[in-house]
Amino acid sequence: MSTSVVTNYAVLPMLNRRVRAYFAPVNRLQQLPSIFDPSQIGEFSLDAPPAPWIDLGWIENFGRKSMSSVGSLNSGVPSIAQYQVREVTGAAVSFRFKVWNKLTMALAAGSQHMNLIQPASGGAANGSGAEGIAPAIVQAGSSSTIIALNAGDLAAFSAGCMVTVDIDYAGQTGFVGSGVSAAYVRSAAAVNNDPDYIRRVSFNVARVSQVTAGGLQLAQPLLAGAPVSGMKVQPITGFVDREGGSFFQEWSAVFVMPGEQGERVIFHYPRLQAMQGAEESSDTLAAPLERISLNASFRALPVTDSNDGEQVVCFRSFLPGSATLI
Amino acid sequence: MENAKDTFYVTLRNRLAALNPNRVIILRGVQRPGILMEEAEAVVPQMPADVFVVRWTGLEVDGQLPSALAQMMCEIHYTTGGTQTNGGLDRGRALEEMDGELFSILSPNSAQKTNYTQRPAVAMETKVFWGEPQFSAMTTQRERLTRVTKVTVFAFQEQGEL
Repeated sequence: MSTSVVTNYAVLPMLNRRVRAYFAPVNRLQQLPSIFDPSQIGEFSLDAPPAPWIDLGWIENFGRKSMSSVGSLNSGVPSIAQYQVREVTGAAVSFRFKVWNKLTMALAAGSQHMNLIQPASGGAANGSGAEGIAPAIVQAGSSSTIIALNAGDLAAFSAGCMVTVDIDYAGQTGFVGSGVSAAYVRSAAAVNNDPDYIRRVSFNVARVSQVTAGGLQLAQPLLAGAPVSGMKVQPITGFVDREGGSFFQEWSAVFVMPGEQGERVIFHYPRLQAMQGAEESSDTLAAPLERISLNASFRALPVTDSNDGEQVVCFRSFLPGSATLI
Repeated sequence: MENAKDTFYVTLRNRLAALNPNRVIILRGVQRPGILMEEAEAVVPQMPADVFVVRWTGLEVDGQLPSALAQMMCEIHYTTGGTQTNGGLDRGRALEEMDGELFSILSPNSAQKTNYTQRPAVAMETKVFWGEPQFSAMTTQRERLTRVTKVTVFAFQEQGEL
């Protein structure tokens, strides 16, 4: 048996027009990042990333920076470098999100990112949102895209509204938030023992496409999957972040550069934390109309590569196209 | 460059046939999808209406790479006077429909380079790829609305290619 011979291989430059970003939660409690294995799933469909990766679309102004440094050990007169030592290992990555949504805004902000819960009437004004209306209890039979509710709770919701779905805050300390560690609570007093606090910071949000007799049909799946017992739902009006805040979000990230000849360059950062506050950029479309993008800048934190025990902060993979000599 | 030009044209032709089977032209007695390569057809005094006419203009070659990279400018001309049924009053809509079709058939922005001078056609090793379309301002001449859209097409020269 033989295969057909291909004689036309060439060495080709890498040509690319854009970069796509995928993020996945880090389990902060157990300090487990989401690991992307390019040998197993490197050729994934860009429009359908494997779980737990979340597609955040094409990004712009993508830039990587090595913050590692190498020193030398010198000896002799005159001094001559005899050995090299790695003094610092580090990396940063920055880019701009083209679109605004819960995840892109939260990632770019880097600290607690809050949902603006629909306020109860007469509540005291507050920069990150007033006290919300009473939540509705999520009933059994719910899924990641259907929130089952009692008929009496439906009035607070309408098609097109947005909702946050999570458990009550009940005095717990540490990381909170279903699906994603959205904040770190140091004490109940710090969050006013507010039962809505977790829903206020939760990433478990979605838009409602339809209100049915049995509950809410969601236009997008909840990030934490099917709601668990004890979760409640509240309508939200939008999102808010702040300059300030003590919490660092942490995410795993994959950036894909698809080449024009079918090759693919993949950058995987298992642990990223924001290294700047909320900031925007504007591009003029036709004055005075501007497109506003979200600036994001992250510092890479280390993981241990189980293949050799090395501490690393980033993996760069290259999957050559079929016509390229390697 | 001929394989790249042929590939680009056939890709757009096939995509147009799938997208809008009703956009057709009868050339030399044969009904075909409504897109033609100008340099491969007889010279005509007036551009046919309601079809896309592909015209190749500029050419640059980067010979500093391991494989020469050709960069070809393609102009796609199209003109319409609307439909007789509506007395031409729908010519604006007709041009917008052609704008939309062209934008659609240009995506995705690449295709496997193919040698169509052989029968059957032979797939080559590299891909032809192109940039974003640049739609020019619409021009009006009598009852006709016309637009030219420019697309820069790239292709690596493979062994044995001119």
